[in-house]
Amino acid sequence: MTIFLQATVEGLSLAAIYSLVAIGFVLIYKSMDVLSFAQPALAVVGAGIISSLAVDRGIPFWLALILGIFLTGVLSLIIERTFLRPMVGEPVFSVAILTIGIDILLRTVLDSWIGINPRYLGDPFPSFGNFGAVNVGGVNLKFLELSALVTAILIIAILSVFFKRSKYGVAMRATSFDQEAALAQGINVGRIFGLAWFIAGILAAFAGFFITGGFNTLGQFSFLIALRALPAVVIGGLDSIPGAVVGSIIIGLTQGYVAYYQIPFENLIGFSLGSGFSLLAPYLIMFVILIFRPDGLFGTEEVERV
Amino acid sequence: MRGRPNLYTDYNKESAIFSNNTQKSWFFIMVAFSFSLCFIASEYWIYLLTSSFLMSIAAWGLNIVSGFAGQINLAHGFFVGIGTYTSAVIGGLAGANVVGFELDMLIWLPVAGITAAIVGLIIAPITVRLKGLNLGLVTLALVFIGSHLFSNFKSLTGGAGLGRKVARLKLFGIDLENGYQIGNYFLEKNQILYLLSLTLCILCGLGIKNLVRSRAGRAYSAIRDGDIAAEAIGINIFRYKASAFALSSFFGGISGAMFFTVSGGVEPGTFNLLYSIVFVAIVVIGGAGTVLGPLFGAFFYTMFPAVIQLLLHVFEIGEQSLPLNLGQIERILFGLFIISFLIFEPRGLWGIWFRLRNYFKAWPFSY
Repeated sequence: MTIFLQATVEGLSLAAIYSLVAIGFVLIYKSMDVLSFAQPALAVVGAGIISSLAVDRGIPFWLALILGIFLTGVLSLIIERTFLRPMVGEPVFSVAILTIGIDILLRTVLDSWIGINPRYLGDPFPSFGNFGAVNVGGVNLKFLELSALVTAILIIAILSVFFKRSKYGVAMRATSFDQEAALAQGINVGRIFGLAWFIAGILAAFAGFFITGGFNTLGQFSFLIALRALPAVVIGGLDSIPGAVVGSIIIGLTQGYVAYYQIPFENLIGFSLGSGFSLLAPYLIMFVILIFRPDGLFGTEEVERV
Repeated sequence: MRGRPNLYTDYNKESAIFSNNTQKSWFFIMVAFSFSLCFIASEYWIYLLTSSFLMSIAAWGLNIVSGFAGQINLAHGFFVGIGTYTSAVIGGLAGANVVGFELDMLIWLPVAGITAAIVGLIIAPITVRLKGLNLGLVTLALVFIGSHLFSNFKSLTGGAGLGRKVARLKLFGIDLENGYQIGNYFLEKNQILYLLSLTLCILCGLGIKNLVRSRAGRAYSAIRDGDIAAEAIGINIFRYKASAFALSSFFGGISGAMFFTVSGGVEPGTFNLLYSIVFVAIVVIGGAGTVLGPLFGAFFYTMFPAVIQLLLHVFEIGEQSLPLNLGQIERILFGLFIISFLIFEPRGLWGIWFRLRNYFKAWPFSY
């Protein structure tokens, strides 16, 4: 039972991280019809900025965190303005490949900055005692994981209020519903695109911090964790924010359970699934769900006209 | 119709492999030149050219599915990997913990392609049902599933970090691993590889050109331009999408079987996400949906690191004085090329070549 709870907690905290990245994916997709492969790169770049401010520059951690997250949002905005704006109206495929190009650019620069040794983010979580964790009835709860959960829930709550109540939130929904009608109503669609990328960048930076914070450290392969938000988005449906959250929970829990139950399961079936199978499980689930529901669990079915 | 090269009197003539004599003679000049390069170029350039030829075979494969049939495939590297490991098992040396049968190249080369094609067919029921971005994402999953399999089937691939030897160059029972003596001229292994890859490349290129003008090629472009419309005029979508995937994997498999014979060994980590993206980038940079595009793209991709090195050498810039190392500069430029080609020249290098050609055709008149 303890193992089950432990796996659940770790799965849920992963789900929180994935949902942050996943909502970013969905926001960009809904506003521009673009699938941004640069999102995982933005997450690790955000972590890199926080690390360089907090560790290299010696700025107090909490200030560095806020600055780093804000700067990642600005970087995301700049990317949208320079690279994505000229591509409005181009085929989805081309734009997706373009974001892969951006991903290569960002990560190469980041990798050269990281160097060989992994970087610490300088957050105070590890120093809270017991390696930054608290033990509740045999279940090891890391502060970082708990804060990821709380932050994700808070951000989702804030975003849903933002989309319901605020002027720009309503404008964003209008734009994703019908771009031309939104333009005709006097909504600055270009600004909405920028806003979507800005929010996505901020969410990515939050995720980046929770992926690499504490003893996790920022390395050259950290982005692969953020990339696993893609299966989450696909499972939920590319254009549904609740779907992204549900998809993230599915993916996160699967990964948590597989990590803890792989070996007993292998003993049961009699052959090995291979090391690191828990990292592959999200992609396999995505594979299976797409066979049965090509538009994801919550995505709207695309109506095509000839 | 002498002197009127652009006047076609029937459909067969227009869709011929070489629509006029100029093209035909240029083709033969280029082929002869490429064969002679084998004897004059330095070892380094032979290596680069061999890689370009093999890269373009794989890129042509991806171009069938992404360029002609319009289906996103981000997992081409996975099929290349399947080709590599099939050939390595059939034609490679058995080691302490890997299997290998040391068969002839006549067997391992086709079987590598066919195995990759079969894998392409096996996943076809999934890939055919999906379209657009969802297809791209499923193929992305395939990359990760592939690299997991490659690193875990240790008896076939040697395992992550270790790798194994690839297929031996043995043609018609003659072992070519250490070169071959013809009369009093000694052909090095790299020259043999060069000639083999060049021949394969020419065959595959002609094959692609033929495919485009065949029934299947026309069906592919119909599916790309509008799959519902294509279905309405009686094209069997499932059959053609599946066959596009299979054919594309076949080319990838062949290229993969040959590609690592240059270096002699292969490690499962090679077939990562970036490796698959390289092929997408080659097709995009070269010009998707054209016959010559992937060839241009492959040459461009293989040659530009060499050109950078040459430039650094000419301007006497030390590598130490740069903020980034050479590999990082290459990757940054690679990313920039992808971005700038997509923004400024979506038709790729082929588009640039097309405009140049037309400019000189009409020279000195601009219209």
